[in-house]
Amino acid sequence: MARITIDPVTRIEGHLRIDVEVNGGVVNKAWASCTMWRGLEAILRGRDAREGWVFAQRFCGVCTTVHAIASVRAVEDALALDIPPNAQYIRNLILICHALHDHIVHFYHLSALDWVDIMSIPKADAAKAASIAEGSSSWAGNSRKELEAVQNKVKGLVASGQLGIFSHGYWGHPAMRLSPELNLIMFSHYLQALEFQRKSCQVVAILGGKTPHIQNLAVGGVMNAINLNSLATLNVDRLGTLQAILEDLIPFVQQVFLVDNCLLAASYPEWFKYGRGVANYLAVPDLPLDAKATKFDLPGGVIMNGDLSSARPIKDWKDDAFRKAVTEDSTHAWYQGGGPLQPYKGETIPDYTDFKEDAKYTWVKAPRYDGSPMQVGPLANILVGYAQGHPLTRKWTDSAFTQIASVHGLKVTPNDMQSTMGRYLARSIRSSMLADLALEHLNLLKTNILNGDDTTYNVPTFPKGEVMGMGMHEAPRGALSHWVVIENGAFTNCQAVVPTTWNASPRDDKGVPGPYETSLIGNPVVDAEKPLEVLRTVHSFDPCMACSCHTLDASGEEIAQVKVQ
Amino acid sequence: MTSFGVDAQCSISVIGLGNVFLGDDGFGPLVIETFRCSYAFSESVEVIDLGTPGLDLAPYLYGKELVVIVDAVHSAMAPGTISFFREEDFVSSRAKLRITGHDPWLWESLAHLRLAGHAPGALIVLGVTPESCTFSEGISERIVEIASEASESIAQLLRDRGIACCKRTEAATPNLWWFPLTEPPSITAV
Repeated sequence: MARITIDPVTRIEGHLRIDVEVNGGVVNKAWASCTMWRGLEAILRGRDAREGWVFAQRFCGVCTTVHAIASVRAVEDALALDIPPNAQYIRNLILICHALHDHIVHFYHLSALDWVDIMSIPKADAAKAASIAEGSSSWAGNSRKELEAVQNKVKGLVASGQLGIFSHGYWGHPAMRLSPELNLIMFSHYLQALEFQRKSCQVVAILGGKTPHIQNLAVGGVMNAINLNSLATLNVDRLGTLQAILEDLIPFVQQVFLVDNCLLAASYPEWFKYGRGVANYLAVPDLPLDAKATKFDLPGGVIMNGDLSSARPIKDWKDDAFRKAVTEDSTHAWYQGGGPLQPYKGETIPDYTDFKEDAKYTWVKAPRYDGSPMQVGPLANILVGYAQGHPLTRKWTDSAFTQIASVHGLKVTPNDMQSTMGRYLARSIRSSMLADLALEHLNLLKTNILNGDDTTYNVPTFPKGEVMGMGMHEAPRGALSHWVVIENGAFTNCQAVVPTTWNASPRDDKGVPGPYETSLIGNPVVDAEKPLEVLRTVHSFDPCMACSCHTLDASGEEIAQVKVQ
Repeated sequence: MTSFGVDAQCSISVIGLGNVFLGDDGFGPLVIETFRCSYAFSESVEVIDLGTPGLDLAPYLYGKELVVIVDAVHSAMAPGTISFFREEDFVSSRAKLRITGHDPWLWESLAHLRLAGHAPGALIVLGVTPESCTFSEGISERIVEIASEASESIAQLLRDRGIACCKRTEAATPNLWWFPLTEPPSITAV
């Protein structure tokens, strides 16, 4: 038996440590430990509730927008404040483009190299690669010329012997099985993705006034002035620019990102068998379509024990069952206290003890839903929508299944999606849905403005005494909720139950492990010194622990340490 | 155009990196806000606080002629010391030297852009040695005092390259919203 510690897990946002026990080439025990303390909730106490979002969007350097939106929604919920439809659409467009950006970066820059072996690219037949790529997609950037140029860059890199950031990959690992041609195609898209990462940021910048850290939010709506004929406001030109950027961005999502994930799924079918983990799923409704947020373009719901027929919808943000079900437990986290607390009563008082696997071992609390651990993220999003017959979810999920079956002859079912590969595929399916919705919400905004509505903001009024509110957002990594208690307009408590907390949850007071920990059970590990397969499953969740930054010494190296005992 | 982010019109970016809640790690954002309020500069310059963007740094370096990054740099020098680094400095001594706490992603972002053919023409890091990067304790006085000197260094650096940049006679008031509250917020509750 070998005990493997990976600390830190690389190519994620932030710091994560994973410990596994491997017996006979298979993981039989796992622990997930977040090694950074996030105490930002404490900073919000005593602050003006109208400004909470400005602080909240610094919770994390990457998920800025998502915390801003959950924070304003929490305060608006406490005040029972309606949001003008224009503000809903503008917020939705920002959220969609932020998510597209995030999903593209995750697949290409943070996880593709778990599956793609760059060192095999010099051996590829570029003409054959072009014919494979052009045969599976109508994307214009797959020409032989394009692929040869990328191949030459990689040849140069390999010949120089200076691999730089690529020097620590598990190249030549027996679990790397793509053909040189597929490796070339994927890596070519890895480089092209940079341009589309930038385009999605531009949409957020145009509407949000700046990226990262948008400036246009307000409790009660958005501060975008709308005047179709004024240079300084959201006008005809800006709307046209947004349309043009989206028309560039969408084909990359639907004809490259999704297609690459289908190619990957077909090439690694065994990964539909690993990584199932906690099969309870939670997604919250998002992309509201009206002022009172009664209708949504993304459905929410709960699935227990992997049984899609058991799906229960979360119809809107007022859902009482959700509010009562969510608790956080600190038995195994470095905070004082233990037993589950409802977030409004949540505490964040540190109690660091070092890594003690039978006691406290992480900065992440254990969130529970009616006492059960839940998996959140694009997979939960897709399964909850699919189970409820949501047309857009069905359209893109079925399209992915058809692509995999017709091009590659592999039959994938919604049940197979409950796996490591399913989480990758779900992220690209969700992105394809969001790409459709980006245009839809831009059209909703235009139509509403052309109908003469230029309202973007309702003034909030704070009552004397205490009010409480909860704001939800189906963020790129899954269900996010902010819970706030406000007294005379200032915060007295703020707790954020974040997606990575759900997924990276430690064991709870009953000893029940969280999704990362459970998903690793049964995961293969061919070579304990090179635990590539563990990274595949961990990366499938898109970990983001970057809720605060870490600092390093000028002399300090930070290369992933893999310790085998 | 200022503070817009990923602005294709701007060929020069002055970028602050750092976590405003981690004491002196907030040097970058502080200098950006100080510079923005104290100087008038060419339209080709984008001045932006990026916080701790991780790999999301790449879009802000994409295709720029010149990038100036302002950040806290841990070193053996006395706290408050300003130093300049060029890209070559840390490429050549890569194994021994990391420039800033946010360097892991700066390095990756640059490498990605270089391969894709969109790397910035030149990159300069303006670093200050921090005194303390402790959560929620606020930035040290010594580092706050150095912010105007660092701003003038940025101005000089731009002027040396023929980019217009002048000190305003009267500086605007910087919005340092993350600094500790000195008095309770004024909210009218009804």
